[in-house]
Amino acid sequence: MGILDQFDVTGQCVVITGAGTGLGKQMALHLAESGADIVGVGRRAEPIEALGEEIRAKGRRYLGIPGCDVTDSAQVNEMAAKATKEMGHVTGLINSAGLGGTGRGKTFPELTDEDWHSGIDSNLTSAFYSARALVPHFLEHGGGTIINITSGWGFRAGRDNFMYAVGKGGVIQLARVLAMTYARENIRAVCIAPGLFPHTEDQGVLAGLGQKQPAGRIGFPREIGPLAVFLVSPAASYMSGETVLIDGGAIAAGLTPAGVIPRAEG
Amino acid sequence: MANKMFDLTGKHAVVTGANGPLGRSLAVALAEAGATVSVTTLRKTQQEEVEANSILNECWSAGSQKGKAVAVDLTDEAGVEAAFAGLESSVGPIDIVVNAGHAANIKPLLESSLADWNNEISRNATTVFVSTLAAGKRMVPRKKGRIINIVSDIHDRGVPNCAIFGASQGAVLGFTKNLAIEWGVGEPLVEDRLTVNAIQLGFMEDVPGPHQDPVLGEIMQKYIPLRRLGSSKDVQGAVVYLASDRSNYINAETITVDGSIVNHA
Repeated sequence: MGILDQFDVTGQCVVITGAGTGLGKQMALHLAESGADIVGVGRRAEPIEALGEEIRAKGRRYLGIPGCDVTDSAQVNEMAAKATKEMGHVTGLINSAGLGGTGRGKTFPELTDEDWHSGIDSNLTSAFYSARALVPHFLEHGGGTIINITSGWGFRAGRDNFMYAVGKGGVIQLARVLAMTYARENIRAVCIAPGLFPHTEDQGVLAGLGQKQPAGRIGFPREIGPLAVFLVSPAASYMSGETVLIDGGAIAAGLTPAGVIPRAEG
Repeated sequence: MANKMFDLTGKHAVVTGANGPLGRSLAVALAEAGATVSVTTLRKTQQEEVEANSILNECWSAGSQKGKAVAVDLTDEAGVEAAFAGLESSVGPIDIVVNAGHAANIKPLLESSLADWNNEISRNATTVFVSTLAAGKRMVPRKKGRIINIVSDIHDRGVPNCAIFGASQGAVLGFTKNLAIEWGVGEPLVEDRLTVNAIQLGFMEDVPGPHQDPVLGEIMQKYIPLRRLGSSKDVQGAVVYLASDRSNYINAETITVDGSIVNHA
């Protein structure tokens, strides 16, 4: 079997939360293109149904579960039960759902319990609920792969950015602990940390944002899909607990403003 | 079925320091993925030249038969420049360079000399600098390419008798990260980039390291969360992914392939 065969994910079935738009949708499309069946989970029905048309057009099975609030454990358990029952066999989970949350513009002492929970629940608790709901299925069926979508904010601090940074840091640790706990049961858990992938098609805006990045550009959403394919596939079978940054070097840089090129003799 | 998303057909990949099972495994993986693969030795010795030719034969069997094997000392700046110039003129523009030279001399620091330090830094880090310089002279004007440096987990985790080896690995990572920022910038609406990344290995049964100690080797197999030493084959996926056009936005990154061992408390 050649190396490109190891990137084949035919026969896998991946549950993706936040699948209707943005990065979740791109991961779904690339996984389907690489052979996987998809369970698309999201709040709004229209994008979840539209995704289904694209996945089925690629010849894959698709189950859309719209209207699922991933911060509600009963709804998440119901989602997981429906996914495993209707698809028969689920092999992967991508926790892509997440929100900025409420409380923007407030000082730290002004943050309410509700502000805290809105950020932590959508970014971190949701990943815990989904993983908890699917791990028993993975254990019964010989393993699985969990990918949590984190962010550069999972590593670095931003002024007044509390819930998002804490939640994104939390999903990195959640993946690491899952990796350790289930390594012997063939469950791998990893993270993807995307840099700036704006939700706009406006070329002028994209160019303007890009010039402030160390790569000179933003990330194009289509670039996230192949990374998810690699991490879900047998080609990554010796990787677990790891976070892969896809940010054009943004986290590695960060000390100097983009475009500033120092020279000094020492 | 082969996943063509990561197909490397039409690309010329050079694996430097391609002696030993690791270099062989990575070179063959790139060839299987469709690349035309050339290989260089780490040192200019007859033994390494024979091995490089054997690896090249395997690459030819896997696919393209255009690549070349070059015997060169990777610390010889002029020799490496000539090797890269020769490979570009006889095979074609170099799209991908994998710096795979990887050797560890495991012994107590008090038994080590300045010569040991110089040797370890030379073969693990200086070689990466020299080959990357030659690669960059060609890739930077094209604003496109891949440089992939192979390092070990032993730079952020301490292991007895590995101080000099660890320093050499840290050197390569610092080099990788800073150079990636220097070379990784490009036009805002163009996807292609020249990227410089690293793949960080755990303990691979066929790659030199402290796990070759019989006592530690046995303990390692139980300590590694995935419950086995890795193999050079486990690194093939990461190198092909990073070599492909699908990884343009991954830069200055270190991808860890280690059975989750740096994740261990």
